[in-house]
Amino acid sequence: MYLALKEIKHEKVRYSLIIAMVVLISYLVFILTSLALGLARENTYAIESWDFKRIALNRDADVNLRQSLLTTDQINELKLTKNEALIGQAPIIVKEKGRQKLSATFVGLERSQFVYQQLKLSSGQLPQTKQEVVVDDSFKNDGYKLGDKVYFNSQTTPYTITGFIKNAKLNVLPVVYGSLTAWAELKNVGPNFAASGVLSKDPDFKVTDPKLQVTTQKALIDKLPGYSAQNSTFTFMIAFLMIISLIVIAVFLYIITIQKLPNYAVLRVQGIANKVLIQNTIGQSFILVITGLIIGALLTLATALVIPANVPMTFDLKFLSLVSVGLVLTSVLGSLIPVRAILRIDPAQAIGG
Amino acid sequence: MSVIEFKNVNKYFGSGSAKVHALKDINFSADKGEFVLILGPSGSGKSTFLTIAGNILSPSSGSVLINGKEIATYSNKEREQLRLEQIGFVLQAHNLVPYLTLKEQFELVDRVKKTGNLSSADLERLLAHLEIAELKDKYPNELSGGQSQRAAIARALYTDPEIILADEPTAALDSQRVKKVGTILQVLAKQQNKAVITVTHDLRLIEQADKIYELTDGQLVQKK
Repeated sequence: MYLALKEIKHEKVRYSLIIAMVVLISYLVFILTSLALGLARENTYAIESWDFKRIALNRDADVNLRQSLLTTDQINELKLTKNEALIGQAPIIVKEKGRQKLSATFVGLERSQFVYQQLKLSSGQLPQTKQEVVVDDSFKNDGYKLGDKVYFNSQTTPYTITGFIKNAKLNVLPVVYGSLTAWAELKNVGPNFAASGVLSKDPDFKVTDPKLQVTTQKALIDKLPGYSAQNSTFTFMIAFLMIISLIVIAVFLYIITIQKLPNYAVLRVQGIANKVLIQNTIGQSFILVITGLIIGALLTLATALVIPANVPMTFDLKFLSLVSVGLVLTSVLGSLIPVRAILRIDPAQAIGG
Repeated sequence: MSVIEFKNVNKYFGSGSAKVHALKDINFSADKGEFVLILGPSGSGKSTFLTIAGNILSPSSGSVLINGKEIATYSNKEREQLRLEQIGFVLQAHNLVPYLTLKEQFELVDRVKKTGNLSSADLERLLAHLEIAELKDKYPNELSGGQSQRAAIARALYTDPEIILADEPTAALDSQRVKKVGTILQVLAKQQNKAVITVTHDLRLIEQADKIYELTDGQLVQKK
């Protein structure tokens, strides 16, 4: 490391440029990863907050809560316990005089059941009547406040906002929580239909009705419209970015090492072992990449502080740490490429200049 | 016993019609305290001689003995160790690491060879003798040609080797500087009891040499 540190100290401009390159790569990877994670979470925040193990849906809905409808008879046959909760989902347009229309997802819940009871409000209180709702915090950004009256779809009876919930998002749309009665009205279904699905905390929850199917939370998430395709796109983008990073870093390290070979040949003549030169090369890569990553992480942190709230970015420390470890491994791998050139140094080249 | 000895050393490069006989049946020896000059024009085999003496290349036939030990059987690690501990090199160019100050060049040696190097006081005396004591914090590119050459000599001596191999140490120096470097190498051999072997085509060094050999087309002939 001695040679590595001394060289970096002496060749400040050259190594600053390399660190700047690593900073830009790591910043790009961090931001893209956070965006991907943010967008993914905007699909799933609400589902994850429901804290269930299994969900029963209409078999014909193809694991899509929005398309599923369960009849009152089907619900009665299920013999629900305190571990189960009915849930209804309906797409809505939120309207209020003087404001732009908002697309949202209405989720109807039963007050006596666990999903309703587990709702964690950031402000206000849970709805107590059919005409009361709690909404996602993003409504605040559009100027909505507690006590505001809002209209859904073409209905003429207003609903009152009694509370806000942080990260109440389903398939990127903000969620409006209300009663199952309100859900039935918004969905335009008659008294024969009771809910879109049944959530259960019991991992062994089963149904006997052949028209129903039970599936997991993960399966429900994976079947969200566009979710898998979007995640695959981001995963490929990040993976390709990592591969390109590997190539770019490896090329830079290779060029730098090649430039140093005449010096290394002299050191080899003087009896300095290959091991010392290889340790120096890998150590130098490590220092450059770690420095670049730290600056890149600080830049990402600064970005997180100034980025508008409506940009879906999630900074997950654990995930970003994994990405960082990936970048370090990638660069160490890249620094191994010039090792072959070091091993092939012929000290005789230094003699006879 | 000679500190370094060549016995019937031959060196070939290439094969078939491209085969070159670079060194032809060389017999040579040098003792401690001797300043030996090997003269020869470009392409005469001087560099090949030096790489074999420096244990970087092995001879095709014949044997090289250092302190009476045949070195042909040495492993790569043993060869590195031998170069690090017993041989000091003064090369034409790039002899110093460009991004280390003169002081740091010695620190680097301390990191790879922990014992047997010159003490701080001895190093100070050596640098003062070479008139570069005040340049310890300078980088190689801040030194003149003569200062660089003397710094390279100091670097070679720092491990306290028995043999100094110098490759064209007076290249690109004016006559005054050549004489000075020659005197330094001569004094080095005598006062520090080193075998100083210099390959060069510079005839201006012959006055100070104890032994002079001439290398022509791979054949070595003693002239003095």
